[in-house]
This record gives sequence, structure tokens and C-alpha cells, in this order.
Amino acid sequence: MQYGNVVALNGVSFDVSEGITGLLGENGAGKSTAIKIFLGLIRPTSGAASVLGRNASVSVDVRARLGYMPEHDCLPTHVSAAEFLTHMAEVSGLPPSLARTRAADTLRHTGLFEERYRSMGGYSTGMKQRVKLSQALVHDPAFVFLDEPTAGLDPVGREEMLALVRKTHREFGISILLSSHLMADVERTCDRILVLQGGQLVQSGEVGHFTKETETVFIEVDTNRDGLVAALDRRGVQVVLDGGGLTIEGADESVYDLVRDALVEAEAPLRRMAPRRRALAELFRRDGDDADIGAAT
Amino acid sequence: MTNGAMERADALPARGGTVFDIGYRNYTGPREGRLRARLAVYKDGVRTALGLGRGGRAKILPWLFIGVLAAIGVVMSLLAGAANRYIGRAAAQQLNLPSHADYYGIASIVLFVFAAVVAPDLLCRDRREGVLNLYLVRPLTGTDYIIARWAAFLTVLVAAAWLPQLILLTGLAMGDPSPLSYLRQHWLDIPRFLSAGAAIALYTTTLAMLTASFTTRRAYASVFLVGLFAITTPFTTALAIELGGTAGRWISMFNLTNIPVHVNDVIFNDVSQITSVAPARELSKSILVSWYFAWTLIPATILWLRYRRVAP
Repeated sequence: MQYGNVVALNGVSFDVSEGITGLLGENGAGKSTAIKIFLGLIRPTSGAASVLGRNASVSVDVRARLGYMPEHDCLPTHVSAAEFLTHMAEVSGLPPSLARTRAADTLRHTGLFEERYRSMGGYSTGMKQRVKLSQALVHDPAFVFLDEPTAGLDPVGREEMLALVRKTHREFGISILLSSHLMADVERTCDRILVLQGGQLVQSGEVGHFTKETETVFIEVDTNRDGLVAALDRRGVQVVLDGGGLTIEGADESVYDLVRDALVEAEAPLRRMAPRRRALAELFRRDGDDADIGAAT
Repeated sequence: MTNGAMERADALPARGGTVFDIGYRNYTGPREGRLRARLAVYKDGVRTALGLGRGGRAKILPWLFIGVLAAIGVVMSLLAGAANRYIGRAAAQQLNLPSHADYYGIASIVLFVFAAVVAPDLLCRDRREGVLNLYLVRPLTGTDYIIARWAAFLTVLVAAAWLPQLILLTGLAMGDPSPLSYLRQHWLDIPRFLSAGAAIALYTTTLAMLTASFTTRRAYASVFLVGLFAITTPFTTALAIELGGTAGRWISMFNLTNIPVHVNDVIFNDVSQITSVAPARELSKSILVSWYFAWTLIPATILWLRYRRVAP
């Protein structure tokens, strides 16, 4: 996909299956462009994208089964959430009476039922994000695209929104492609992950697989750390010095026996030994050539 | 509570309320696709144009204009009725009082300002607030959206144009000693004012919507449109009179307010008061009608092209 001289996406090819898939990348990595191509809002310079087996830019009807929560503001300020959602449900093809029922149901599930008749101009950022999510769900889509759903939210609001996203898949059965530049959001919410960097797909796979791959054991001893390192080296265990201690990367259960033997051989008093799962941010900072992907706290 | 009632209440088994969480239910009803989507956008456009379902302030402008347009019709019918009643029908006809043929000439400027002020609200707000993005990810194309919005305002403007004519017709018929014989003699006025009203609404809606498509601010579109009509009318009139001849007649064609009124004149086969001083009236009917279609179809095409491939 090319905008003038700028290549937004280049040679990107991936499949998204059921569940929650995270589309991760820094700002300008091409996440929103990818979503818009899937939705048929923009046509790729070359190649094609299909969703639910159809190309949404050719088959407009497939959009009736898709939901989209944009990153930017998209809510009219002069109407109530109930009225807005009813209208959006109708625009998605639902008859008016059923659209009203769906709007009320959806607002109940997203926690805005009590506030549904208030004008949206007076809503907080968190409430607006919930309405944005609600309008994406009001017509009961099969697949939803969420573009930075936690943008602008405080930590509590973020947790609530991520819980809603998880609920959307686990209780409502709606599959999701969630784009974010926040590692923590993706790590805590998604089943799978796609990492875009500079318009290219640099990583993809199950989130659990990545975190398992990156499991490390952190060891701290009172004395003779060098002797322990040498003893581990003789047993074929690669270590990385980490502050006052050392870490063993990609550790599995068998490494604990080797560590025990090395500690005995080096006569190094053990102060602490614990597994440590590295955050995805660290993984991609290493594999993605120091990609500047923010790890939110 | 009386003692008896309290005793009865005590005798009832204690029952606590139970809240059932019915959970999320998937939608299994009908999905009416693109047709329903178009209809929803159209309906919302009509409601927006009339301020329905909005606060009081949103209703002031549209209903003020509709009121003014209706008032013109009421005044014209009262004048005609009074003249018929007090000086007789034959003498009243000699007075050359405003009629169906004259109404659009008199009211056209009100219709233009109405369109300039209200029509941009149907397009500008959707783009400024980002709602257009949400429409376009639903079973609706840019073409569907703009046609639905255009049709919505056209409906409102046609209704606003026809209502005073119907009032005038009612007034004239009621003012006649024999209303039925009046209607039999003047039935042709009905299709004439319906088609002339539709023509002026078509032209005005298209120009207003095209202007609104270039900005996200309703005020900019409104000021531009009012300015356009306010400037072209005196400018072209003065220049046409100054130049005279063929050049004057063609310059007069650029009086944007008069373009649909010339068509009204063609339909009624009469010259309304507003165009009676316009040199363009001397041009042939085919030129006047073609000019009208050019000023309607070309802006409509540009408007469609702007929204055909619109993307957020």
C-alpha cells in the first residue's frame, strides 16, 4: 500500500483466525492502514485482503458482519448514546424496532445502560471509548476491528476496556483484530500477535509461544558468581550477567538440575533463584532491531 | 397500612427479588442490508434538516424558514381572497395579483437562504465529527451516503416549496364563490407548481450540498452560499443592463437566483415578477431549460465524484 512516495505496507501477508489477534507496531507502522484495507475503505496498490472470505471493497454486504472501532473521535456530540446506537444498527441493516432493542442490550453489556439517554457531548473519555466499542458491536458482527481501543484512557479505564475486549470474544463469541502500540495491552488480551514495523510484518505467532520462548531464570548468589558462571559453562548452559546476578535464557525444567550441580561445584551460596517471563517489549526490542514499541505500565 | 392489611402482608411468604443475567444474546433477526442502510441515512437526514429529535435550538431555523415560506402563501391567498370578495373576480384579475406562477419568483430567495443555512448540516457535521467513517464501514458506499443525504434535503425542500402553493391553492379555491368550479378551471396549476417547485428544490439542494462537501464547517458553507446569491444577483443584473444586447442577456443568465425561476416561467408559460426585468427572459425556452440542467447536473456530478471514493 503506497501513499504518494510513502510505502505504508510492503509485502505483508498474514491470516487472522478466530480469537483475539493483536496487531502491534509503533505509530506509522501501518496498523490502521491494514485495518482500513480489510474493511474495504482503501484499496491496496497491489495485492488483496479478504475478511470472512470476501473482499470488503468489492462486496459491500460483508460489512454488515464487521465492526470497526476507530482510534479517532467519531461520535456526534448532540445525540444520546441510545439514539446513536439505534441509528448505527439501522445503518448496519437491522430493522428499526430490533435496532432499538439491540442498542439497549449492547449499552447494558458495555456498562452504559444508565447513561444511555444523556447527550454524548458530556461523556468522559472512558465513556466515549465504550460508546465507540458499542457501536462496533451493536449489529452483532462476526469480526471486529479495534484500532487502539485504550487510547487516552487512564490505567483503570484501560483495564476496564481490556476486560470488555476479552469479554467481547469469550462471552459474545466475536473474533477481534486489536491494533495497539502498547505491548502490555496485547500481551494481556490477545491469543495471537502480529508485529508490524515500518510497513512490514516482522513477527507473528501465539502470544503464549513468545512468552514461553523468552522465559528466563534469574539467579543471585552471595559470593563466587564467576565460579558459578564457569561451572554452568562447563555444563553447556549459556548465561548472561544481569546486575549482581545472572540470567539463563530459554530455560526449561532440566536446567534447574544443572544449576543445582553448578552451585554445589562452585560452592556459591544461593540467595535467590526465580523464573522470570520477559515482557514482549524486551523480545521485540531485541528481535525487531530496537523497535521503539512502548511497553505501557 | 391498616391492621388487616399488615396481617395479610405478614401472612405472605417472604420473597426476595431475583435478578437474572440473561447474558449476551446473538442477533438472529433479519439483516436488511444496503437498502435499510440507505433508508436509515435518508431518515436521519430528514430529521436533521428539520431538527426533529434535537433540542429546541436545532428546530428554530428550519421551522422559521418553513414558517416564512408558508406565510408568503397565506398572505398571497388572503390578498387574492379579499380582492375577489370585495371588488369581484373580474376586477381582481385586472389587478394582476401574485399567483401560482409568481410564488417561486417571490419565495426563491427564502428557499436559497433556507438551503444555505440548513443543508450544510447534513454533510459538514458527519465529516467534522468523524461519523462518516462509521457509515462507510457499514453496508453503505460513498455514493449511497451522498444520494441518501441529498434526497433527504431535497424531500424537505420540495415539501417546503409545495406547502405554500397548496395553501395558496386552498385560499384561492375557498375565496371563489364556487371552489369546485375554480379547481376545474385551474387544475393545470397543480402539476405546474408541483413541477416548478421540484425544479427549484432540485437546483437549490444540489448547489447547497456541493458547497457543503468542500468544508467541515457549516458556517463557512452557509456564508459562501448566501454571499454567492447576494453578490451574483445585483452584479449580474447591473452588468446585464449596462451591456445590453446579446452579451447582456448571457450575463443575466449568471444570476443564480433566477436560473430556476426561468424554468418556472417556462412551466407556467408566463413571466414572473422577478424575471420580468431580467434580459435573459428574451432567450429561447430551450436555452433557459438547458442552462438550468447544466447548473443542476454538473454540480450533482461533481458532488457524486467527491463522495464516490471518499475514504476516512
